[in-house]
Amino acid sequence: MPRRLKSGPLDEVFGALANPTRRDILDALLGGEHTAGDLAGKFDMARPSVSEHLRALRESGLVEERQEGRHRFYRVTGEPMAELIDWLTPYERFWRDRMTALGGVLDEMDDDDHA
Amino acid sequence: MMTTHEDLTRIEVDQFFPHPPSKVWRALTTPELMAQWLMPNDFEPIVGHRFAFWARPVAQTGFSGRIACQVLDLRPRKMLRISWADAEQPDGMATTVTWMLHPEGKGTRLFLEHAGFDLDDPTQQLARKFMNGGWRSHVLRRLGELLQHLG
Repeated sequence: MPRRLKSGPLDEVFGALANPTRRDILDALLGGEHTAGDLAGKFDMARPSVSEHLRALRESGLVEERQEGRHRFYRVTGEPMAELIDWLTPYERFWRDRMTALGGVLDEMDDDDHA
Repeated sequence: MMTTHEDLTRIEVDQFFPHPPSKVWRALTTPELMAQWLMPNDFEPIVGHRFAFWARPVAQTGFSGRIACQVLDLRPRKMLRISWADAEQPDGMATTVTWMLHPEGKGTRLFLEHAGFDLDDPTQQLARKFMNGGWRSHVLRRLGELLQHLG
């Protein structure tokens, strides 16, 4: 339970998240991958500023890009997000995982009920 | 499975199991079975009993690997409540873990509440500063969904 602030990747993650526009972009990407053009239209922003925000999100590791033909798609990266969740609510994921493990144990147990 | 984040001092998770409450209760209160899904322990189903869970230490969070617990309340096949604290951080605040079993059809819905997190913790304060209010809970919920899809 005790968590300590640690410098490193999380600094960049929180640096990226400190900007409300980047939070909105990240939110949009959580719903599925988008091109920079999609995002510019969605948020009524100029392409260069969208690209700048995407660069900050990419450098934080929260977002990755994928080239397909002439288009670049941006999407949320799973693992840094998982680490962010762990850091914010370390027990959240722990208990979800334990619940899943409990389901496995119950499936293996015999149904004999002496209780 | 559902999780709520509106109250930052607690975590709530619930899950349905296609097994009767009596069986879920056995998995929840038999040390050998608890070791399989939770952690090795010396639990006894007696109110007031002090016990521990042993886990792997986690260096980056300062977690010692031993969790000191006490059985606070117990109602067979219905509810179990224990205290939960890092054994090597005696000044750290003890949290409370409560399991509630609700019959649902032929199965059981198990509610878990982990409460008593310290909002004065500087980490929590920073987390709130950046991720306050609805955005945080919204994002965490969507992240949870995403992670389930990622397997």
